[in-house]
Amino acid sequence: MMLEVVSGGPQTTVQDLGRPGYLHTGMPPSGAFDSFSLRVANLLVGNNAGGRYLVGRDPGDAGLEVLLLGCRLQATADHVIAVTGGDLSPTLNDAPLPMWRSILVHPGDMIAFTTPRRGVRAYLAVAGGIDVPPFLGSRATNVRAAVGGIEGRGLKPGDQIQVGTPAKPTSVLVGRSWPEEARPAQGNPWTVRVVLGPQDELFTPESVETFLNVDWKLSPISDRMGCRYIGPKLEFLPRPDYLIEQAGSDPSNIVDDGTPLGGIQVPSGLEPIVMGADVPSFGGYAKIATVISSDIGVVGQGKPGDIVRFRAVSVAEAEEIGLAKEALLTESTVVEV
Amino acid sequence: MLYDHPIYRPLGDMFVDVEFGDELHLALNFRVIGLNLSLTKQPIPGVTETVPSNRALMIAYDSSVVRQAALIDALREREEEATKLRRAPSRLVILPFWYNDPWSDECAKAHGAPNNMDYLAEINNTTVDGVIAAHSGTEWWVTSVGFQPGCYQALSLDPAFSVTAPKYPRPRQWTPERILCLAGKITSFYPVRSPGGYQLLGRTPVDLYDPLQRNEVFRDSPVLPIAGERHRYVPIDENAYKEIRQQVERGDYRYDIEEGEYSLDDYLARLDAVQVGVV
Repeated sequence: MMLEVVSGGPQTTVQDLGRPGYLHTGMPPSGAFDSFSLRVANLLVGNNAGGRYLVGRDPGDAGLEVLLLGCRLQATADHVIAVTGGDLSPTLNDAPLPMWRSILVHPGDMIAFTTPRRGVRAYLAVAGGIDVPPFLGSRATNVRAAVGGIEGRGLKPGDQIQVGTPAKPTSVLVGRSWPEEARPAQGNPWTVRVVLGPQDELFTPESVETFLNVDWKLSPISDRMGCRYIGPKLEFLPRPDYLIEQAGSDPSNIVDDGTPLGGIQVPSGLEPIVMGADVPSFGGYAKIATVISSDIGVVGQGKPGDIVRFRAVSVAEAEEIGLAKEALLTESTVVEV
Repeated sequence: MLYDHPIYRPLGDMFVDVEFGDELHLALNFRVIGLNLSLTKQPIPGVTETVPSNRALMIAYDSSVVRQAALIDALREREEEATKLRRAPSRLVILPFWYNDPWSDECAKAHGAPNNMDYLAEINNTTVDGVIAAHSGTEWWVTSVGFQPGCYQALSLDPAFSVTAPKYPRPRQWTPERILCLAGKITSFYPVRSPGGYQLLGRTPVDLYDPLQRNEVFRDSPVLPIAGERHRYVPIDENAYKEIRQQVERGDYRYDIEEGEYSLDDYLARLDAVQVGVV
C-alpha cells in the first residue's frame, strides 16, 4: 500500500493539521498552509479530517501538499485519492484528473501536477492516510527545523510513501464530490481579510490607509514561513528614545513580542510579510495587522506576481466568518455523484 | 513603560495579546509569567496555548468555545493576580560554555567582522577576560523562548551588569549551532545553524534542543529552556568542552538543574541600590 515518488517537484511535503501546543518552545505549528483544502480532501476519501487548525488538537490524517508543477507520483496498489486546493492542472495518466472528488487509481497509474492555473498549493489525500512516524503528535513536515514527514524534508525521487488502511471499502469511497459553492474562492486579485493590530498604532494613519487600499504584489521571496508583498513604503510615527535604545534603531523595531500565524510584519516599512504555517513564535518588527483564520489558506495560494488586497474586519466578524467556514466541513456537505 | 493595566490587543480571531508594557524590564516580564502561571493553574475554557514574550502573553483560543470579547473579560479578572506576583517558581540551569571559542571566531571572520569578544571588550572598556567574568558572574532570567525551537532571550539579574553591544549592521548568513550571543541587554542562543545578528560569545557542548529527545530532560519536550527559569553560564576550556560533548553524544550527560524560586522584590531592591533606573 504505497505511492512511489517519481519526482517531488519544487516542494511536496507530508502535511496534516500540524503540531500546536509547542509554540512556547519555538516550535512552529506547521501543517497544511491551506488547511481547509486538506480537510476537504480527507473528508472525500473517508479519512479523519481533524479538528480546527491550530486551535484544535486533532491533526487528522496526513496528505500531501504539492507546490506548483513537477510532482509525479505512481500508485503501486489500488487507492482512493482526492485532489483539492490550488488548480495545478493535475493529470492521471496524462488525462485531466478531476479535482474536489474522490477517484480510484490502480497500480502503475501516474498522477502528475503539470501547470499552475489558479493557486500554487494542491492537496492530495489518499484513503487510509499517509503513514509516517509522528513527531510531537503530528506528521506535518517542517523543512526548516528538519522534523516530521519523511526525514523532515520535501519528497524526492524514489521515496516510497506508505499508506494506512482505509476506514471504509473502496466502493463507498469513490465518487464523492465537494460542491463548487463550498470551495474556497480563488482568483487573482485575491482579497485577504485582516484584523488591524497589534501595532497599527505605530504606523502613520496615512500608512494604515495605504496598507488597506493599494494592490500588493506577491514577491517570489515567499514560502511557508512568510509571504512578502511588494508595494509602497509604509511610514512610522516617531518613537521615544528608550524604545530606540531598547528595540533598535530601525523605526519598525519593537521590543520582541509574540508573532501569531497570519501576523503581518513590516520590517523598515518595506514589503509586509504575512507569517505562514512555519511561523517563528516571536519577532522584533511592528505588525500592522493579522490575517483572519479563514483567509490563511488564501495567503498560501498566492502565486508570485499575484495581486492581493487587504481588507479590515472586526474580531467579531472574523470569528463569524471562521465559524461559518468551519461549519461547512461536515459529511453532509459531501455530494455523492 | 510598564502600563498600569495591560492592553488587550487582538491578533486576528485565533490569538489575543495581553501586553503589560512596551520595554524590556524584569518587573514587566514577571507579570507576563504571573498571568501565564495563573492560566496554567486555573485554565480558562477555550484557551488552547500561551506564549510568553518579553512584555506580553500571547494567548491562542478556540472561538467555537469562547469569543475573544468574553475571553478578555475573563482575563481582566486575572490582572490583579498577575500584577501582584512577587515570587515565581524558577529553576536554575547551569550550562557550560567555551567563551571565545574558535567556531565563533571563524564565523565572525567569514562575515568580515572582528572577533566579537575582542569587539565587546573594546567598546565596553574592558578585556576579554573581563567580559567573560561579567557575563558568567551573573544569573540570567529567561524572559521568553522561541523564534526557533530552543532559542531564548534572557536578561541579567545583576542590575550592575553593563556589557552591551549593537547587533551586526548586516545580519550574518549563518551562525554555528549552540552559540551563546548578546545584543543590547539581551543574551540569546542559536540552537541550530541559522542566520542572525547578535554578537557571538561562546559555544556550549550541551544540547538545548534535541528533536530526537535522547536525554531524559527532553522527555516531555524537545526544547529545554522555559520562560521564567534562570541560567548561569560556567566558563570551560577546550578539554572540558570535548569531554562534555562526548557525554552528550553518548546520551549520559547529566544536566545541572536546581529547582527553586525567585523574588522580584529582591531584584528591585538591588536595582534601587545601584540606581541604574526606576520602573
